[in-house]
Amino acid sequence: MAVEYEARVARIVEHAPDTRSLFLRGPRLGFRPGQFISCLLPVGGETLIRPYSIASSPEEDDLEVCLNLVPGGLASPHLLRLPVGAAVRFTGPWGTFVLDRAPEAEAVFIADGTGVAPIRPMLRRALATATRHPLRLLYGAADPERLLYRAELEAMAREHTGFRFEHVPSARLRDEVARRWVDGDADRCRRFFICGVGEIVPALRDLLRRAGYERRAVQYEKW
Amino acid sequence: MARIRVIFENGDPERVIEFDPARAPFQHDGKPGSILDVLLGHGIHLEHACGGNCACTTCHVIVKGGGKALSASDDSEEDLLDKAPGLTPTSRLGCQAVVEEPDAEIVVVIPRYTINQIVSEHGG
Repeated sequence: MAVEYEARVARIVEHAPDTRSLFLRGPRLGFRPGQFISCLLPVGGETLIRPYSIASSPEEDDLEVCLNLVPGGLASPHLLRLPVGAAVRFTGPWGTFVLDRAPEAEAVFIADGTGVAPIRPMLRRALATATRHPLRLLYGAADPERLLYRAELEAMAREHTGFRFEHVPSARLRDEVARRWVDGDADRCRRFFICGVGEIVPALRDLLRRAGYERRAVQYEKW
Repeated sequence: MARIRVIFENGDPERVIEFDPARAPFQHDGKPGSILDVLLGHGIHLEHACGGNCACTTCHVIVKGGGKALSASDDSEEDLLDKAPGLTPTSRLGCQAVVEEPDAEIVVVIPRYTINQIVSEHGG
């Protein structure tokens, strides 16, 4: 059985009416950028096991999880109702969608919606260990106002000349990826890190691999 | 009726589950009728840190028999299995491998460790 931890909600940040970050304070957890914790949530008389990507970096004291309300879901309404001070049980860290240091190639991060959560610490790590290779973030959201961590990402782009951050509407994400990195040139040395919710993620994976990128050069996590 | 014989690498006693695949799902995590679904629905704990969503390797099982009665793996499952410790040619993710034959006779081994527990033990 996995080791269980308990943390308290130390702070809540509301990104939008249906999207929040919970900052969990408890035992200091060693994890790799991109990993998730698995929350054990008492809902309806049973314990639901639900994964949440860690949006903070390993160097920070609190664990930040960023979530939005899933229509019809059981776990997200429970978590979004929690007040400051509430206890949250979890196991982890889990997951193999990770980045420990900047790749020795151009790295392209592609996030859709709250899929930016694990990308954020990966990107920070990549910038902290950056090589001469460019770093890109293509971030899909319905409109620019829905971008999470927008000010932080824009500041990163100002501070790091090798990093570019661009927003595209989610509905155009696939076409924009194809235009830039499939049809745009013959370079197939890039590394991709993709995270989002639903079928857009395997769709992008298949698009890139079929275009000639190595299988292991296209890492992804589909929620 | 289908049967799954469950062997635990940690030495726990074997279990045998008899079930009707047509009655799946047996609970709410993993693909309906998957090894994870059947085991959890019959009181056998199998780690599934991602909630059975094909996003981790904690439900890794090794199929020792009856693998042809299971659904084929897809790219998402194979990509994750690549990262599972103790990978074998007959490894599957319990949340994805669905029992498709009504009279399947399946034998699975539950490995001792998951990659994540190893990482945690080393503080990684």
